[in-house]
Amino acid sequence: MGEMEQLRKEAESLKDQITAARKAVQDTTLQEAAAGITVVGRVQLKTRKTLRGHLAKIYAMHWAVDANLCVSASQDGKLIVWDTITTNKVNAIPLKSSWVMTCAYAPSGNLVACGGLDNMCSIYNLKGKDGNVKVMRELAAHTGYLSCCRFLSDSEIITSSGDCTCVLWDIETGTQKTVFAGHQGDCMSLAVSPDFKFFISGACDFTAKLWDIREGVCRQTFGGHESDINAIGFFPNGNAVITGSDDATCKLYDLRADQELITYQDSSIMCGVTSLAPSLSGRLILAGYDDFNVNIWDSLKSERVCWQVMTTE
Amino acid sequence: MSSKPHGSNNIAHARRMVQQLRIEASIERTKVSKASADLMNYCSEHARNDPLLMGIPASDNPFKDKKPCTIL
Repeated sequence: MGEMEQLRKEAESLKDQITAARKAVQDTTLQEAAAGITVVGRVQLKTRKTLRGHLAKIYAMHWAVDANLCVSASQDGKLIVWDTITTNKVNAIPLKSSWVMTCAYAPSGNLVACGGLDNMCSIYNLKGKDGNVKVMRELAAHTGYLSCCRFLSDSEIITSSGDCTCVLWDIETGTQKTVFAGHQGDCMSLAVSPDFKFFISGACDFTAKLWDIREGVCRQTFGGHESDINAIGFFPNGNAVITGSDDATCKLYDLRADQELITYQDSSIMCGVTSLAPSLSGRLILAGYDDFNVNIWDSLKSERVCWQVMTTE
Repeated sequence: MSSKPHGSNNIAHARRMVQQLRIEASIERTKVSKASADLMNYCSEHARNDPLLMGIPASDNPFKDKKPCTIL
């Protein structure tokens, strides 16, 4: 038996092992476990602020840790840092490349980053001595577009790219510390775990991967989606991962059970999910779709929660 | 992405795949009943701090415009 054939057989055997091991811990389903819980009632929303200023499509936004400031990136070639309480623009940063697809706010509040079709991640210092915001570093090495970036600190940032890899960068030296390779399709989105030890990536190979940042290895791979994963996020306790896909569904994967626990889908929803975020308690999942709608899901019951925008107090 | 050349690259790729599958096969798995219970507990423990579930008092809401007083 040639080595190629041996490796093929071993790969098949390992895949069967993983499937069996996942089944072995499936003593129930989340649906059954949550059967006694009532679906969340109507959620009432009120539009509080509208941040006006961008002149073209806004591709991404990211909150600062203080939940007061946020940064947004638009293909009008600007990054804007907003004070969301006053709606003032704290900074309006002109970009070298207007083809921006992602932006990020550093936990410290000192830096923001962005990137896109220029294949680079540009880091901007908001707290420079002379008050001007300028490019601090240009992280260049990806051979595909920058789809997402997230800071670990002022000295490290993780990027995901259309070149199918994610990279951990040393911002100071502008070099790649670790390349996370393994996805077989464009990496579209990433999210860092609350303890900063892991990150998850969603890709056009229909899988989500959990990566150990320091060891540089993929620990777990989650399949099941039938199309590209565009959006990914952690459940607030860091023990589960939520994905949104072009297959019109969102899924929740539990990291410790190493499997999908629930799919958020409805036969009336036929377009892709482009973004998602869990509410503070994790009970609600807000997902944005290609038909310009947001659906709010009860994360434990996999049912859509009715919501309405209140126009009066 | 350019297609990989045949030959030794395929073997290297297959070796990496097997190596990766070995890592993923070796992890410890928790029972779904425990994983589910932990998710449900987290949700209920933090529900009261979730403004979308419980609402938020006007005094705590930084986004609510403070209405000026009107003298009647």
